[in-house]
Amino acid sequence: MNSYHDPELEDVLQDDELRRIASMLSSARAPEAPLDEAYRTGLRRQLMNEAWAMTEGRQSWWRRAFAPPGLAWAGAAAGLVLIMSVVIYTSLQPGAGVQQIVVQSPVDGDRSVALAQPILVKFNQPMDHPSTEAAVQIMPATNVTFGWNQNTLAVQPAGGTLAPNTQYHVTIGPGAKTATGKPLSSPQTITFVTTAPPTPSVTPTPRPTPSTALGEKQLAGLAGAHGLVSQWSSDSSSIYYVDGHGALNVIPAKDGGVTVIAPDGASSPAVSPTGDRLAYLRNGKVEILTFASGKTDELSVTPTPTLVDWGKDRIVWAAADGVYTQADDGSSHQLAPLPTTGTVAVVSFSPDGSHASYSQDQNLFVLDLASGKSTQLGQAGATFLGWSPSGSALIYATSDNDVVANLQGVTQSTLPAGEATWSTQDAILIGGDTDILQTRPDGTNLGRISGGTFHFPTWAPNGTTFAFVRGGSLWVATAPPLPPEPTVLDEASVVVDTFMKARLAGTADQASALLDANGKAAYAGGGLSLLISGDPSFSRYYILSSEVTGVDPDTARFVVRLVLSHGKTDVSDQEEALTLVRDATSKQFAIDQATAGAHRDLGKGAEVVSVDIQNDTVKVTFDSDLDPTTVTDGVTILDAKGKRLDANASYANRIVMLTGLNLKDGDSYRLVVLTTIRDVSGQNVDAEYDLDFFGPTAKRHGNHQDSVTLTPTPAPSPSPSPASPSPTS
Amino acid sequence: MSDPSRDDERELVERAKRDPRQFGTLYDRHFQQIYRFVYSRVREQTAAEDVTSEVFMKALKAMPRYQDTGRPFAAWLYQIAVNAIADRYRSLKTAQPLDDFHDLSVAGPALEDVAAHRDEMRRIWALVEALPLQQRTALVLKFQEDMKIEDIAVAMGKSPGAVKLLIHRGVTRLREEADTLRPMAE
Repeated sequence: MNSYHDPELEDVLQDDELRRIASMLSSARAPEAPLDEAYRTGLRRQLMNEAWAMTEGRQSWWRRAFAPPGLAWAGAAAGLVLIMSVVIYTSLQPGAGVQQIVVQSPVDGDRSVALAQPILVKFNQPMDHPSTEAAVQIMPATNVTFGWNQNTLAVQPAGGTLAPNTQYHVTIGPGAKTATGKPLSSPQTITFVTTAPPTPSVTPTPRPTPSTALGEKQLAGLAGAHGLVSQWSSDSSSIYYVDGHGALNVIPAKDGGVTVIAPDGASSPAVSPTGDRLAYLRNGKVEILTFASGKTDELSVTPTPTLVDWGKDRIVWAAADGVYTQADDGSSHQLAPLPTTGTVAVVSFSPDGSHASYSQDQNLFVLDLASGKSTQLGQAGATFLGWSPSGSALIYATSDNDVVANLQGVTQSTLPAGEATWSTQDAILIGGDTDILQTRPDGTNLGRISGGTFHFPTWAPNGTTFAFVRGGSLWVATAPPLPPEPTVLDEASVVVDTFMKARLAGTADQASALLDANGKAAYAGGGLSLLISGDPSFSRYYILSSEVTGVDPDTARFVVRLVLSHGKTDVSDQEEALTLVRDATSKQFAIDQATAGAHRDLGKGAEVVSVDIQNDTVKVTFDSDLDPTTVTDGVTILDAKGKRLDANASYANRIVMLTGLNLKDGDSYRLVVLTTIRDVSGQNVDAEYDLDFFGPTAKRHGNHQDSVTLTPTPAPSPSPSPASPSPTS
Repeated sequence: MSDPSRDDERELVERAKRDPRQFGTLYDRHFQQIYRFVYSRVREQTAAEDVTSEVFMKALKAMPRYQDTGRPFAAWLYQIAVNAIADRYRSLKTAQPLDDFHDLSVAGPALEDVAAHRDEMRRIWALVEALPLQQRTALVLKFQEDMKIEDIAVAMGKSPGAVKLLIHRGVTRLREEADTLRPMAE
């Protein structure tokens, strides 16, 4: 056996036998003491409450809490089915009998408490307000104000709302007294969990009833025009249109009279991309009106134009044998030839001037002006309706439906039949004799927005107003906005929620179904488990951060917090970073990567409960009100080399905003919360918190039509209306 | 030469003296060892929780009066714990049997006869439990908690010499039982 050597004890352990005994004593390790983590965190909370009371010079209640109990607990109050209640019996005075004080809160035990509400604490008898307010302790540390309504105390967070994703413990200490001066003899704690922070929700916009007017307003008669040949001004204030006499007129959409630009023989009005000029055809020539000067220039171009428009910065026009533009020297330059057989007519140019649509007898084609290649759209009898704002997709009509197609003629979606127009906001209006519908290009959010006649609807560039024909006159109306399009994050978060709920429910097979092969491997390895068992137990989860990190395929990254609880008390959490990728075939998201992140004990200072990442701003939400002086240097972002990024830090209502950032798409960054961050109760963050993330992808996504970019043009340029000849006439 | 961890602890203690709300960090640092020590003495989880709560509550309340004597902060917490345990023994009068305690794991090289040795150590700790309270406390703090004599002295409110004497008497008394402690194989 090893002999025991301890310099401190050399003079007292002088023989081998004593040293042998000392060696035996020191070589024995005591078994780990059984420890209830809830006790440990609960004691910490009590200590912090007491420390806070000491600091505030308030009456100490802990002595009573640790005094021999003169109280007992009873269950929830009978008759309050939805209200969790806690009953405290307190012996008020020796020999004076037992009086019952009941403390209730409608949120006690609730695990999805909305953020914007006070914490209501109801007493069954009148209370002394100052002592009761002084006895209120809140974890996490929160600045509050108080209000009373009879026997109900409203504890209102000073910041206006509760922190998201947070378990609150609101304790009424025994310092609380009744109006008659009798104290509550034991602290009572109300516990609840708040919901996630609000996000822009994709909720359906209530549709107006068919009888609801859209602000329809009659502007001017069309003098027997067949169809509508029109063009909105780039600022959506006026409409240029050709009436039945061939006059080109302009009329304000709101108030004002008709101004005649050309009295007869006009067609094909087209506002330039910069909005400063208007081109149109008259008597076989191109005329260009410059708005600023009011001067009209006449271009004699050959061959004779049948349709004119703007391609980027110069005129393009269609003639019988091809599509032309004007060369630098003023001469005509053919961009692409048209077929030489049958009856051929160009019906529209795309907004970017790169394509044209033409009819050849009964067939409809799209012509790539750069390559000269034509692609047929649909079957015989198809008629052209309009372009997407960017010109990367179009709509044509068949005898049964409207069809959204890409420039290769591939059908993207099928819509109800009617006269269609595609807005800068990616809303499509479909008009007709009896009503008007609105839909997304993929056919979602389809709804009837009004009854009545709405022929040839034509969106203004603002995506709100549209022109149409009713009863031989030109009208304008305003369409209700469509609900926001579901984002990549919306779709991916549904998968994350389903995945986490299956794990909470212990249904591993359902959770596993949301993993692809990589994802399954991640959970099959040693680091992660689909099912989490034991005590503390997996009780809830929330999404800490989410961001789009890639397109083609759409990729999103989520950091999820799994909260572990002992009894009702949240004691720790652990993070998982999930990467979801949209499957090319099914279009559904699957979890492709998963990595384990930080594991933290709760109740040790302010905790980050939400991180919102934008390219220029990162918003970090804490569960506690912070000491503002500790914020500026306490929350930072490092780049991949560990260099701190320049950012402006501001703080209000538990939220630290880092602005002035320039996060690069796909680059690695780390959010660092240092232990210098201190909450209003004076407690520092226990350990540094790091969150690794990527610069978000700024590109906007078309969720449903991968090959069609549904991106609105940043500065809407006027697109030709469904051009003459009228598609349905 | 200054000890960085001691400097760090001094800073934490000074902050907690000025502002009791800083006490949480000290609690986090020392909870485990104090709880383990208390549990080793009272051997019952609920009792250990009661005593540990009392220790930290008393420590928090006494923080403003805490004087840094150059000894670790933990020594002061042990002192409160020793007193709290003594109070509890005084009130309960009786100690609980040790039969299921010190089901020991053994540090160090493998022994020829582990079972016999474990049995021997179980018996020696049983004998420790039969020692007078102060000898017992001194042996536990020295041999289980690995504390320095001077720190034990702070914890027990005695001089280092007195602590050594307690240890000497305790170990000597155990030697008197040496025959019963010798492994059967010898």
